[in-house]
Amino acid sequence: MTNASVAVHVEGDDVAIALSGEVDLDNAATVESQLHKAISNQAKAVSLDLSDVAYIDSIGMRILFALAATLESLNITLTVVAQPGTAARRVVTLSGLDRLAVLEP
Amino acid sequence: MTDPNQQPATDRLRRIELVTEPSLGHLDVEELLDELLERVRELLDVDTAAVLLLDPSGSELVATAAHGIEEEVQQGVRVPLGRGFAGRIAADKRPVVIERVDHTNVINPLLRDRGIQSLLGVPLLSAGSVLGVMHVGTLRQRTFTEDDVQLLQLVAERVTVATQSRRSAIEHSAARALQRSLLPGALPSIPGVSIAARYVAGEAAGLGGDWYDAFPLPSGGLFLVIGDVVGRGLRAAVVMGRLRSTVRAYALTDPDPARVLSLLDQKIQYFEPGEMATVLVAIFHPTLDKVEISCAGHPPPVLAPPDAPAGLVDLAVDPPIGVRPALVRRSTTIEIPDGAVMCFYTDGLVERRGVDIDERFAQLCASVFADEADSVCTAVMRSLVGSESASDDIALIALRVRGDEGQAALDIHVPAVPASLTHIRTALRRWLVNASVTSDDATDILLALGEATANAVEHAYGPGRGTVSVHVALDGSDVLATVSDVGRWRPARGENRGRGTTIMKECMDDVDVRSDASGTTVTMRRRVEQVQR
Repeated sequence: MTNASVAVHVEGDDVAIALSGEVDLDNAATVESQLHKAISNQAKAVSLDLSDVAYIDSIGMRILFALAATLESLNITLTVVAQPGTAARRVVTLSGLDRLAVLEP
Repeated sequence: MTDPNQQPATDRLRRIELVTEPSLGHLDVEELLDELLERVRELLDVDTAAVLLLDPSGSELVATAAHGIEEEVQQGVRVPLGRGFAGRIAADKRPVVIERVDHTNVINPLLRDRGIQSLLGVPLLSAGSVLGVMHVGTLRQRTFTEDDVQLLQLVAERVTVATQSRRSAIEHSAARALQRSLLPGALPSIPGVSIAARYVAGEAAGLGGDWYDAFPLPSGGLFLVIGDVVGRGLRAAVVMGRLRSTVRAYALTDPDPARVLSLLDQKIQYFEPGEMATVLVAIFHPTLDKVEISCAGHPPPVLAPPDAPAGLVDLAVDPPIGVRPALVRRSTTIEIPDGAVMCFYTDGLVERRGVDIDERFAQLCASVFADEADSVCTAVMRSLVGSESASDDIALIALRVRGDEGQAALDIHVPAVPASLTHIRTALRRWLVNASVTSDDATDILLALGEATANAVEHAYGPGRGTVSVHVALDGSDVLATVSDVGRWRPARGENRGRGTTIMKECMDDVDVRSDASGTTVTMRRRVEQVQR
């Protein structure tokens, strides 16, 4: 079983989510439903911290792309946090996710 | 004779096991079910037995095998989920017993017409989801006991396992065959380019949706695409096939890499919502010193110049295909030094769990050098794959531009049919560009060769057809061209005969036509100016 954890911190209309661990075919559906649950219809801004994601495959990336497209259509801003030098940062820029979300830092 | 109902259940089950054993491995799903149903009929002492499997949409059950009520299969009976006897079993995922059949509890007229009095049906369940329904019926009224229900459930379990493993084996080989059929049989042979590729199907993970494709464009450019459909198995392979034909179609209508990807994106979001793929499209300029690339979330190519270490190409990267509507896609133009090698690949080559991707990129770059394309593929596979078996699909395509071997001669052998003329012109146009022939000279040579080849197509062969061969080479500062066929020219018909020869003579410095019993050869020569490069 692949393990990932989704930590959620809500402050007013802002939702901060920290995803960590590994995401692949095995747990992609679980992670996706956890992410959806974390974001209420009241949210205005979502930040998704991927700095502690050790591994994410293409199926995992599909979830993030789907999320980015959905939030965009709901006018909810998405900020993706991935520290320089991390595996996650590399994947975000290699896949073009940074075109659908604000990448920080 | 022993009443089968009196036999211990274990004995009866053994008979079912007999038909699910591996020795029946050669049967396909339908044959296997057929065999099983015959046993079930004897085992439960019933008159009819049938299996309905859920169709791929998951909304209807389709009669797949039947005994005693073969019409179900022959007439292709379909039962909507939730309706009628079988539909209820599938929807509620539990057994249903009907002691007395009438139109209120059975909607399938076949069951009623057949005179079935009592029915027992159980769901075929796999990990909690319904695969189908199995039901048995009797022509006399019968009370199915709790034991009967349990026995049929046990049989159903075995049927499920057998059906599933057989189905996935068939899917697997179908996907393989499909995938193989979708890979280019042979890479295009293009003057000035050496091109090679490797494709390895993922072993442990089953199948992916990787593909590559390369072909010359009518404009004289070279179109290359490499992509990876997210997901596995037959489904990914099928989506990949659709992407591939779509890309080919758009490549011809609008040969601009960002436009091709935008159109592909629109098509996928409309017809295959929910699918995602990373795709890279590269269009090489006819002169082969420039390539325009648009990248949809795909790993960057490697460029190895002849005099410097290889590196990843810096590209504008847009999101994958299938993610978001109306995305403005970008492209990047890359200069290719003479003799350089470019490598395109899918993530299966570089991604390894627990290994830093940049480490793998560095390893890849270290194994790419400006050499023959095939040697490059060999070196890359040896360094990055070695003896490990692939867990994901790997596609790799390497391309070397020109090199220092000088301008090779152009050799074309094609059927002498009108459709070949455009191919000959395309190849010749590219060859002339590569040979740095000025555009005035090139226009004349194209015209002269066009006339000569058209003559061969028109006059050399009867309805049996044949081939036409074109050979073009640089001879000092001359272009020397021959067009030959092995047919017998028939006398001219129509008005315009002879005009072709006039044009050839006007365009070339020297034209010689030799015709004998073995065929006709037109030899032409023209002094050309070469552009300094």
